[in-house]
Parts: sequence; structure tokens; C-alpha cells
Amino acid sequence: MPRLLASALSLRRDPRLLKLPPYLSLLCIVVGVVWLFLLPLDDYSRRTYISENALLPGQVHTYFGGSDQNVFRAYKYETDELAGKGNIEVNNKLESIAKGLGLKVGRQNFTYSSAGNTHSGQNIYAILQAPRGDATEAIVLVAAWENVNGELNRSGVPLVLTLARYFKRWSLWSKDIIFLFTPDSIAGPQAWVDAYHDAHDSSLVASLPLKSGALQGAIALDYARETRFKSVHIVYDGVNGQLPNLDLINSVNHVAGGQMGMGVAIQEMWEHSNSYHDRLQTMLRGMLKQGLGLASGPHSSFIPYHVDAVTLQPFGDGWQDEMAIGRVIEGTFRSLNNLLEHLHQSFFFYLLMQKERFVSIGTYLPSAMLVAANFTIMAIALWVKSGQPEVREVITEKTETAEEAGKVALPNPHVTVERDLFLPLVLVAACQFAGVVPLYLFNHLSESALIPAFIFFTILSAILPFLLSSILHNSTTSTTTQQYHLIRSFSLLLLGMFLSSLATLNFSLAFLVGVFSAPLTFVRPCPNSPSNGCLWSFCLDEKVGYGLGEVLRQAAFAWDVTGTYTPVVVWCVWWPAWIVGVVSVLGRPDTRENKVKKA
Amino acid sequence: MNGGKVTLGRTAGLYAGAAVLRLALFTLFPGLPDLLTGRVEISTPVTSFKRLQEGLFLYNHNVSPYDGGVYHQAPLLLPIFNLLPSFSTFPIFTYLLYIAVDILSADALLRIAESGEAGSSARFTSPRRDKRWSGAVVAALFLFNPFTIATCIGRSTTVFTTCAILHAVANAISGRHFHAMVALAFASYLSMYPLLLLPPLILLCYDRQKQPASGAPNAWIKFAVAMVMDVFGALAVLFQMSFFLTGSWEFLSSTYGVQLTLSDLAPNIGLWWYFFVEMFDSFRSFFLAVFWLHLSSYVGGLSVRLRQQPLVVITLLLGIFSIFKPYPSIADASLFLGMVPLYRHVFPLLRYSFVIAAIIIYATFLGPAFYHLWIYAGSGNANFFYAITLVWGLGLSLLVCDLAFAVLRDEWEVERPEMVGKEIRQI
Repeated sequence: MPRLLASALSLRRDPRLLKLPPYLSLLCIVVGVVWLFLLPLDDYSRRTYISENALLPGQVHTYFGGSDQNVFRAYKYETDELAGKGNIEVNNKLESIAKGLGLKVGRQNFTYSSAGNTHSGQNIYAILQAPRGDATEAIVLVAAWENVNGELNRSGVPLVLTLARYFKRWSLWSKDIIFLFTPDSIAGPQAWVDAYHDAHDSSLVASLPLKSGALQGAIALDYARETRFKSVHIVYDGVNGQLPNLDLINSVNHVAGGQMGMGVAIQEMWEHSNSYHDRLQTMLRGMLKQGLGLASGPHSSFIPYHVDAVTLQPFGDGWQDEMAIGRVIEGTFRSLNNLLEHLHQSFFFYLLMQKERFVSIGTYLPSAMLVAANFTIMAIALWVKSGQPEVREVITEKTETAEEAGKVALPNPHVTVERDLFLPLVLVAACQFAGVVPLYLFNHLSESALIPAFIFFTILSAILPFLLSSILHNSTTSTTTQQYHLIRSFSLLLLGMFLSSLATLNFSLAFLVGVFSAPLTFVRPCPNSPSNGCLWSFCLDEKVGYGLGEVLRQAAFAWDVTGTYTPVVVWCVWWPAWIVGVVSVLGRPDTRENKVKKA
Repeated sequence: MNGGKVTLGRTAGLYAGAAVLRLALFTLFPGLPDLLTGRVEISTPVTSFKRLQEGLFLYNHNVSPYDGGVYHQAPLLLPIFNLLPSFSTFPIFTYLLYIAVDILSADALLRIAESGEAGSSARFTSPRRDKRWSGAVVAALFLFNPFTIATCIGRSTTVFTTCAILHAVANAISGRHFHAMVALAFASYLSMYPLLLLPPLILLCYDRQKQPASGAPNAWIKFAVAMVMDVFGALAVLFQMSFFLTGSWEFLSSTYGVQLTLSDLAPNIGLWWYFFVEMFDSFRSFFLAVFWLHLSSYVGGLSVRLRQQPLVVITLLLGIFSIFKPYPSIADASLFLGMVPLYRHVFPLLRYSFVIAAIIIYATFLGPAFYHLWIYAGSGNANFFYAITLVWGLGLSLLVCDLAFAVLRDEWEVERPEMVGKEIRQI
């Protein structure tokens, strides 16, 4: 054992060991990315299954249909009359219908302001009290008056009204059912859910006059088309990449695909051949949506409150009618009604690659962690490197006698040089905190000022590294190689740490930011070389690629209304890392030789 | 003289900067204080500002503040906060109080640093002592430590204990024994555990007496007894005042009893809560005794082994308390991390400084993330958060061990000059 330890210790001092980390980092990135591309293969992904026994999806007869068709037509006629009318007028009508059904009705006003625009409206909701329940639990059925694309939810709203009338007749509900009608698909549901959980700012969003029990699940219906359809599209991405419990998606899939015999699609893959290519595309689309963290429908706002929710969207030309989607909702609600406890059995972290195939967190997390680890490896390597005496310098100074040169050329390898931490710490900390400025600006400017501000900021962040590096170079005590090593080390350490923390919250965002920042691992000071420009243009490309105008407005909206934290990651993690990266590329470390030349 | 003025200006600037930063955080981000007050990393059941307000409310309505089992802090805090204008209408006065306490702590730390006690005590002079940071730097590192700032903004009542401990040490160094003992009594009155600092503090007082001890063989016993009498006298006065204030001795069981028996199992960054949540009740009292014994067992050993440098004992004990006490928070870590820069001269001897820094920073970010997964997202569980508190404890204990190693190595090199620069190996 002691011999083994001794050999391990001597290996520790092997100079070859320090050459290893860049290759190790590269290996981590390559393995991380390849890992991701292996996931769609049959060997790595799994078939979905229902974990929660109480759900029993598709086990009940659904009776929605028959004369309900006529009721639906009547309600559709009523709501068609309301098209183009104001929010309040619509709600007056909806209230009279819901009251006519014998439901308790509440209204809620909300106002949000973002990027200089105000988004205001009034939600209306009706509560069906459970004949067999004690009002401690509730399920929500949402129909937004307009869907995310701004289309009128022409069939969705009457269908929910029809379902309300139909559900009222049954005596088997053990959970309250809340029918929620919101004027739009993002702000309205957000205001309602916030207020339901008393997490709202009461100066902007009114409190709810009427409440029920803890929300167990929510289904939103986005049914703008008026013709028959072929399949149903399940939208499941929540705010900040949070996902509903996989059991809910599976149940809907089971009811719609198995019981009703209609097609099911996810992630806008209207055709899915279950090939590797299609699976990969589905997965990557899911990751991109998750990474951006935007709300994708009325269900998105529910998920941060641990209420599992999905939006159903009928699509395609086929022979399924409104009654069919009504039966899907009925079946799903019967399943949710069976629940004895909150959905918790199945996965919360997963990537779906087909309606019936997924990978769980244990399988995919290593890829993001490997990408994040590469930064940490390099940070440790740079730290060790910065502690080593600069051999070359010493030789050039003292070459009096060969013997002496021999002595100094082999300095005691385990004596570390004292590191000068002040400048690197200050520089990295300052860059990190500077990220708050764009974060604040882009979330508080008005819409018209966004694009000019963005262009100005792009130019500014192009110039900033040059400024910083010239300051570093011309200051009285020039920056040494050691300090450059330390600057990079700290920056990479922080990046690795942020990304590995983020990977536990939002895998896709961490992975995307990690891959985009991968070149930072390999930057080294090389002034006046062409790689400089390349690196910079790459950085710029991404900034432009990240978007303009509409995207900026949407980002501000997401920040103000739904609390998406992607801008924080972009400005306080990714941006400072790039600035420091470019500074170290431009850096001209001050070695003794340079000093001699200067003199 | 001129130099003195410059330093005075510098420290005044430093304090002003720290005060302005805190005031800006308080006023520019009105949601921040309440957010931080609610964080388990900052507010524990025995230091939470929210619970203090609850106690204050009951106290103002002539109900015993300990009714309802929410308030577990010392009774004398109530009249202090009661003197301030109402928190709900004029929060600024509370803010100013907390800022002032932070600056007082920093001032005591500055005095400790300026004394040079860390580098050369009465019985030991480090050969490396010239390499040290000035008091202003040490105070700045304390004041601008994010943990200290977060504690101040979160208005945890630990800041009073921190202040009292630092003043006890500073007074001991400047030879004012009585002040030191009264300050320690205050600290112990507020949070109990600082009483364990009494032995090293007596040693420190003894070493820093104005007149060197007389040759009498039992002089040190007399000295120690006098010091102990001072502390317990001051504590008796404080208890008596508390008794008059609340009208009963109930406060003893509600404040110190809670710490001794860990009756509130709210999660925190320490290692106790999870252990006692999982434990069968029949083993509870046994393990409580074991945990407390473990915590107090360091005092004797360290005081004996590091007899030559009592300040090191105090620093290491503060580090150990911040890991192993029943309700630790980042405030305790910030006190320990504030003391560490005093040992600038042994920093080159630290072996794991990068690892320690990385672990502490990782734990700082992963802790809230995992807590979020457990409590809010519902996709994690208690094990996630507990795992991170273990990592946090690992980081701090590495720092304690490494600092102890560096100090001992420093002593050893004086004893064995021929071993300077040689590598040692554990056998």
C-alpha cells in the first residue's frame, strides 16, 4: 500500500499530467454530445408506462356525445355571436351561461406591463362542486378565448361549456372541477394561478373571490379549427423547462390513442415515423423549447406550482369530431378523479422522443454534467498551472554556469508559487456583476427602445474586451501569465458551477449554454492572431442568432409575466464568460522577456 | 501621525461603503429582505427575524412571547426592538440597527487584526508573521463577504452574537478582561454555544495581561476563577433581567431548551435536523447527548494542543461550531470566514485552498437549487438538500483541518528548523 501511494504521489508530479486536461476536457465535450445523440436509440430510451395505478386510463366508458352534440351547437352559436366583442361583454355572457348551469362563478381582473405595453384583461371561472368530495381537491379545465397564436378558440370555448353542462349531471366526481376562461393564453392563466396560490402582487392582479381545494391537475383545450380533425397534439412544456408528471401525458396518450383511436403527436411533429431521425428531431425540439423556458400554452403557468397540466390541440384533416375530443377530456378527467394523492409516481425529468418513448434523467443528465465538468477540469488544471514556477524565465536570467542553470531549471516541483489573486478575482467578479446591467435594461426598456439598445449593447460588448485588455496591459503593474491563468481558471470554475447547478433545474438550457461556451475551455492568450477574429465573430453570430425585435419583446414579456429565468442565464452566466474569454484571448501576458524588450 | 490619519480615513471610508451597500440593498430591492429572511440557509428557528416579530407582537400584547412555541430567542431582544419605531411603518430604523451591528463587528475584527495576535502571541512568534493583511483588509473581507451581507439583509439575530463574540476577543487581546467576559456573557446569553469559547478566551486573557503574571505558582488558577466568576456574574444579571421582563423562568426552556433538545426540526444547513428526523424516539436523548458531547469535546483538546496560540483555538472552534452546532446558518460560516484572513501568514501552507473554495461555492449554488427542487418543484426530496448540506459541511471542515494543519506546521518549523520546506507524510 505505501508503495502504491508513493507511486501515485510521484505520478502526481509528472509534468506530462498537466498536458492532459485539455484533451480530457475535449473528451468530456465529445462524449457529452455523442451521448445525447445516442439517446434516441432503442437501447437507451424506454417505452412509457403508467406508474400510478390509481389512474386507470381508458378503463371507463365515456358517455359524452349524442344529444350533447346539439348542446354544443347551441353554445357554439352563442359564442360565435361574441366574436370580436370586448372582454367584459364576453365574460357577461359566459357568466350567464355558467350561472344557468348552476355553477358558482368568479371573475378576476389583471394588468401586467412589459416592455412599455400593458396586458390587461379579466378571467372568469366557474366551480363545479364535487357531489362526492369535500372541496379539498380540484381539477381545472381551461379554455383561453384566444390561443397562443392569437386565433379565436372557436370550438374550444363552447366545448368546455358543453362539458361543464355534461359534468354537472354526473354524481361521480370526488374532486371539484374548475372551468376557467381566460382572455389570452399566457397572462390570464398566469394571473389566475398566481392568485389561486396567493402568490400574486395584489396591486396588479386581483385576488380570487372564490376558491376550491388544492389543484391536482389541469387540462387546457386549444381548439380553434371548426372542421373535423385527425389527431391530437399534446403540448406539455412548462415555464422554465419544467415538465408535468409523465403519467399525465401517458394517460392522455392512452385515452386518446388507445381508447378513442385517434393519433397523438408531440412537439409539432405532425408526422412521426418512429425512425431515429424523427425521434432525434422530436427530442431536440423539446430540448430547445425547454431551454428557452417560454410558456407554450395556457397549461404552462400551472406547472411551476406543481400542478401537472397539458394543452390539447386537435390537428390534421380526418373524421374525428368535437365529441371525440370531449370524450378524451372526459376520460382524462375520470382518471384524474381517481387519484388518491398528487401525481408523484412517474418522472418529472424526461425527454420524450415519440409519444411512447422517453429517456429519464438518470440516462440523459450525464451528458450535460460532462459538458459542465469539462470547464471544471480546465479550471483546476489552470489553477495548478498558475502555481508552478515559470521555468523558462528563470533560465534566461541565470545562465552563469551550467551547473547553476541545471539547478534552477529543475525547481522543486512541489513548491507552489504564491498566487496573486486580487486582480483576477476583481476582474471576474466585475464581469459577473456587469451582467446585471443588460439584464435590467432589456427587461425594463420600452418596446421601441429595445432594438437600438440591443445594437448599442452588441457594439459595446464587442469593444469592452479590447478596452479591458488594454487597461490590463498598460496599467503600472502589467498582468502576468499567472494572472491570466487565474482569470481563466476562475471564470471557468464559475461557468462549470453555474451549469452543473442549472443542469438539475433545466437540463436543456444547461446543455445548450455548455455547448455554446465549449470553445472557452480552449482559449489561450494569442494576441494578433487570426483565431482572434474567428472567435469574436462566432460570439457575435450567436448574439445575432439569439434574436431581435419580437424575440426581445417576448423575452421581456416572459420575464415580467411568467418569471422565465433564461435572460438571467444568458446575461449573468453566458455573457460574462464570453467577455472574460475574449479578454484572455486578447491578453498579452507580461513575461520577463517582454519587459526586457520594452526597456 | 499622518499615516494614522490616512488609515483612519480609509477605515471610515470602508465602513461608509459597507453601510451604503447594505442600505442600497435594503431600499432599492424592497422584496429582498423578506426573501432572505425566509431562506432556511439564513434564518434558523433560533435566529429568524420573522419569529422575532411574532415574539414582539405577543410581548406588546402582554402575552408571554414564548406562548405558541414560535419564538425561541433571548427575552432581552424584545425591549431592544420595542424601543425602535414600529417595524411596519419605519423599517429604516431596524435596517440601521443591523448595519450598525455589522460595522461594530467589523471594527472589533479590525482591532484583532491590528493587534497582530494571530502572528505573534505571548508564547509563540511565527517566522512568517510579516506577511499579513492590515486590519482594514480583514474588516473589508468580512464586511463584503456575500454571506455577511446576506445575513445582514436577512436580519438574522445571529449578528448580535457575532458582534459580541468579536468584541469579547478584541477586548481580551487589548487586556480588558472584564469587558471581554461581559461580551462573552452576552454572546452566551443570546445563543448559548459561545460559552464553549470560555476556556480559550481565558487563556487569551491570561496571555495578554497588562502586567505579566506574578511568579506565584497558582496565579493562573486565581485568574481563571476570577474570569469564570465574571462570566457567570454577568450571565446571572442577564437572566435576572430576563426574569423580571417576562415574569417567569419559562424563557430558559424555550430558548436554551430548544437548542439542547432540538425540538424544532426545520431544515437548515447543519447536520442535525435530518439525523433527528430519521431517528426513532427512543434513541433521541442518547444521540442528543452524543451530538452535544461531540460539539464540546473539541474545546479541551484544541486548548491544550494549541496552548501557545489561543486565538487559533477560538478561530478553529468557531469553524467547528459553524458545522456541528444544532442550528447553524451561513451567519456562523461568515464569522469563521471573517476570522480566517487573520492567518494570512500561514496561507502558503494551506494545501487545499482551491478545493475548499470550489466546494463552498458549489454548495452555495447547489443548496438553493436543491431546496427549490424539494420544496417548490416537488421533483426532488429532502435527501437532495441534505446531501448538499453534507458537502457544505465537508468544505468547512476541510478548511478547519487545513488551517489547523497550517498553524501546526508553522509551529513545527520553529521547533525543527531543519525540516523547513520538506514535505511531510502522514504515517
